[in-house]
Amino acid sequence: MTIRLERMIPLPMLEQATSGSGIWEAGSVDFEKGNFYIIRAPSGRGKTSLLSVIYGTRKDYRGEVYLDEENIATFTARQWSDTRKRRLSFIFQGLELFDGLTAMENILLKNNITGFRSDAEIRTMAGRLGIEQFLHRKAGILSFGQQQRVAIIRALCQPFEYLLADECFSHMDRENTRHAFGLIREVCRQQGAGLILTSLNGSEPMDFDRQLEL
Amino acid sequence: MRQVYKILWQDHSRAHLLWAFLGTFAGFVLLLSGIQFYIDLRGVLSANRDLLDPEYIVINKKVHIGQTLGLQGNGFSQEEIDELAAQPFAQKVSPFISNEFPVAGYTESERFPDFYTELFFEAIPDEYIDVKSEEWDWDPDEGVIPIIIPQDYLNLYNFGFAQSQGLPKIPKGVISLINFRIRLRGEGSGNFDDYDGRIVGFSNRIHSILVPLDFLQWANDTYGYFKQSDPSRLILVSRDPTDPEIIRFIEEKGYDTIREKLKSSRLNIILKFIISFLLVIAAIIIGLAFLVFLLSLQLMISRSSGKIRRLNRLGFHYREIGRPYILLLLILLAGVTGLSLLATTILTRQFAQLASVWNLDISASLHGIIYGTSTGLVTLIFLSNMTAILVSTKRLCS
Repeated sequence: MTIRLERMIPLPMLEQATSGSGIWEAGSVDFEKGNFYIIRAPSGRGKTSLLSVIYGTRKDYRGEVYLDEENIATFTARQWSDTRKRRLSFIFQGLELFDGLTAMENILLKNNITGFRSDAEIRTMAGRLGIEQFLHRKAGILSFGQQQRVAIIRALCQPFEYLLADECFSHMDRENTRHAFGLIREVCRQQGAGLILTSLNGSEPMDFDRQLEL
Repeated sequence: MRQVYKILWQDHSRAHLLWAFLGTFAGFVLLLSGIQFYIDLRGVLSANRDLLDPEYIVINKKVHIGQTLGLQGNGFSQEEIDELAAQPFAQKVSPFISNEFPVAGYTESERFPDFYTELFFEAIPDEYIDVKSEEWDWDPDEGVIPIIIPQDYLNLYNFGFAQSQGLPKIPKGVISLINFRIRLRGEGSGNFDDYDGRIVGFSNRIHSILVPLDFLQWANDTYGYFKQSDPSRLILVSRDPTDPEIIRFIEEKGYDTIREKLKSSRLNIILKFIISFLLVIAAIIIGLAFLVFLLSLQLMISRSSGKIRRLNRLGFHYREIGRPYILLLLILLAGVTGLSLLATTILTRQFAQLASVWNLDISASLHGIIYGTSTGLVTLIFLSNMTAILVSTKRLCS
């Protein structure tokens, strides 16, 4: 999948100073198939807005956004549903987990839509991120860092052509962060999928094809 | 999807759904049994039900002082008879023939105390009599006069007179074995003939002492000498004795009849009114229950709006999200329908049993329209609620 932005700017950003922004001031921004992108910026520059617009959960923007040259403004509810199930995966900053479900149930919620991974694969991934023993616990009682890892695994339990990850390592220690990145890179490469990561500080243990500034 | 069901079902109070369920159930049972009984009662109270059994009504004129003083006759003139026959509710009208000479009955047996009384006879064509007997013909050579008396007379004797006098009661079958004699007297003293009389049947319909028509006509020709007078009683054959027009006409003309038969028309009206009232109540209850269903579901959806939006963000289409609510709706409505049909069937059976004790013929199974009504109604409630669910989830997901 290619993602192209044409003079796209979220409406709230119009009121802010955006000079020097590599994205808001640019005419056209391209995200190519299978590439890894990192977007670093302090808070309030629109990192989440950018990803939300691409993902279709925010519609208050100017300009156009194209997924594989299709303007997302024309997408129907059905198209968004299909896109989010099979083409775009998102790791939300707010995680969007269901407190009333266990960690495993949260993951299966997404996984069972496509039956993408087996129970064993999920447990393996959970093992790699150090949360296998928490899978049966209700998500609401896990620590934020543990919840983040659940969200990461959930996002990897579907087919995707682009993974959108919004500041999802804030509460993880170095070692877990390393493991998480390793897992993400592996899965993306496996599918030939691209990655757009947003970050505050920029200490990610991974190589990116391109860095963008907001 | 299992997780989706779990999420959406969590944290909800079930109470309001229970109320919706019970209310709809009550309304349905009321409505369905109301319809069932309405159809049954219409059949029972209306003689239209059985075209081969029209009802017979005996009409006479009210006796008033003018007649007592001899200033008026109390019979029906030919014009009056024709007028009655012309009414829309009248199928046939026939006058009662009476004896135009004195008649007496007496016993001569050792077994019964001697008994002598003046009598009267009336006759109408055979087709109006509810008793059929092989002995119901008149053969002058044989000389036996067959008589039909009202069942009430026998009851009156057995349970009134015999009881109080300490006399033996007479069963129906035995009475025809009792011999008695009938004396027909012509004009002038010493001009009489005796015949055997025999009771050959008991009528529930005609309150009179009946003899065969051809006998009475012959007897009137042979012995009759009273002034010819107008018939004092008429028998009316109507298709529907519950027709309120009959009672109105009779009262307007100052005629009289046994109220019992016509009571059922008043009863009919009252019952129809009560049932109509119940049906209106039922419709209101169902309308309210439908509203409670609608609001309950909207409330559930509204309370789960955060979860619904989250599911949408994860890629679920609003129709997928609506599915658990629709399934819930389906289960509840199916339950309501099944239970209310069951309850109505039970009520109907009970009522039919009760009715059979009273010799009313009520169907013990549900009329087809009951199934049709319940299916139609529940489909309507389902479709409208389903639409509301999808509209709500779609709105949350956009």
